[in-house]
Amino acid sequence: MSASGQSYWLTEPCRIRREDNSIRIERADRTPVRIPITDIRDLVVFDNADINTAAVSLLSRHRITVHLLDHYGNYAGALTPAEDMSSAHVVRAQVTLTADPVARLAVARALVGATAANVAWALDTDLLAGPLERLPAQVRACADAEELMGIEGNFRRTAWGVLDTLLPPWLRLGGRSRRPPSNAGNAFISYLNAITYARVLTAIRCTPLHPAIGFLHADSDRRRNTLALDLAEPFKPLLAERLLRRAAAQRTLTAADFVSDVRSASLSTAGRKKVSIMVREELATTVHHRQLKRKVSYEELIHLEALKLVRLCLEGTPYKPFRPWW
Amino acid sequence: MKPHPDAAANPPPDPDDVDDDGIGGVHIKYLLHCPRQLWLYSHGYRPEARNEAVAFGEVVDDTTYRRHHDIDLGAAKIDWVTRGAVVHETKSSRQPSPQHEAQVRHYCLLLARRGVNVRGGVVHYPLIRRTTRVAWDDTARRAAETAEAQARQVSAAATPPPRLPRASCRGCSYRDYCWGDS
Repeated sequence: MSASGQSYWLTEPCRIRREDNSIRIERADRTPVRIPITDIRDLVVFDNADINTAAVSLLSRHRITVHLLDHYGNYAGALTPAEDMSSAHVVRAQVTLTADPVARLAVARALVGATAANVAWALDTDLLAGPLERLPAQVRACADAEELMGIEGNFRRTAWGVLDTLLPPWLRLGGRSRRPPSNAGNAFISYLNAITYARVLTAIRCTPLHPAIGFLHADSDRRRNTLALDLAEPFKPLLAERLLRRAAAQRTLTAADFVSDVRSASLSTAGRKKVSIMVREELATTVHHRQLKRKVSYEELIHLEALKLVRLCLEGTPYKPFRPWW
Repeated sequence: MKPHPDAAANPPPDPDDVDDDGIGGVHIKYLLHCPRQLWLYSHGYRPEARNEAVAFGEVVDDTTYRRHHDIDLGAAKIDWVTRGAVVHETKSSRQPSPQHEAQVRHYCLLLARRGVNVRGGVVHYPLIRRTTRVAWDDTARRAAETAEAQARQVSAAATPPPRLPRASCRGCSYRDYCWGDS
């Protein structure tokens, strides 16, 4: 996922049309925006959008995914290219690896360990040092992915508690709740998690991996892209928790940016726009990569993470999940 | 009725036409550049679609010598062939390279196997307005056959060849894969 093309974030209701070999975005009361098709890597749609067959076939031919987020920030679905990059050889290796309990658990353990470390890093606190120290022993004792998920859940609950102490009262989570999120803080986290998932899914689709064959999450209960859920884990703290703390500290978001009901909350249109700007800037942030010897953006980090799994499948290189090194 | 623009750009694949284990021009080029690249390419990792240099090459190909049509041989796609069977290849590079000649020799070999009496090849470098001639004789044929056999051997190996010294990886679309472990 190098320099070719960029993600376009559509934060307003719009119509996506085809005009020759360009995409034309029409918004109410505005002149249309024309985007050359070669400049698009993917589209993230935050609000209602209309699209027709001509546009879909052009997008599909250029391997562009359209991610759709619903009003509550849940991942509503995607328009994906008719033929994807999956390669039989790599997918076969992926299936063999995930079918082998030992190999699968090794990757799942690494993911849980790295995610916990990243949460502690994102919250920038010593309060999690204790649970983090106990974690390796607990992770080693796990016999299957389900137990691992349980341990991760416990750690996460502790971390949510610690996060609450760092937030102003109106943004506190008071326990994580989803579908729908119960308060402003939960709405924010859900929204960011959906965006992270969409970014990871795009990254995986740029590799020959199959997004539905994963290591950590259970693959039997619902149809979903398990691998994208797995790979999103280590990146969620980098985006969701850190941005929530920043939004609180810098007062970017106010209570007015959320539409709150008795038992549910969601971002308002203005709030969604603010959040999408924050995320875009965050994803474009670069850090120096020591092996590649160049700057890479957070977005590219997600792509490099997917490539690590390709290396695992093709060459058996052990998988070391992402941990911030800066 | 005029065919829909999508139909021309994306013809449905003909099941009898697909020759998957065939060695194409790209295989030969990658073999000479880096055997590891060839192994990864033939095992399904193809990041070129997202590479700027490759996109640039496609644009150069699309915007030069527009009167000629490419010839699809399944595994290989020849830029164009002129009367007397001369194979032509366009390159967006500014630096003539043995890899390009080897690619043309491979196309000559594929045509010769189909019974065409090939006379030779030409590599065009539109950006520097130069051409390089590629001879087609017994030596060239042997070279082409050796390269093809090597390419088959590399793709069939169970493990990929090692990385090249890092300096050679500049501009390679596989660099993120090979060097991106942190």
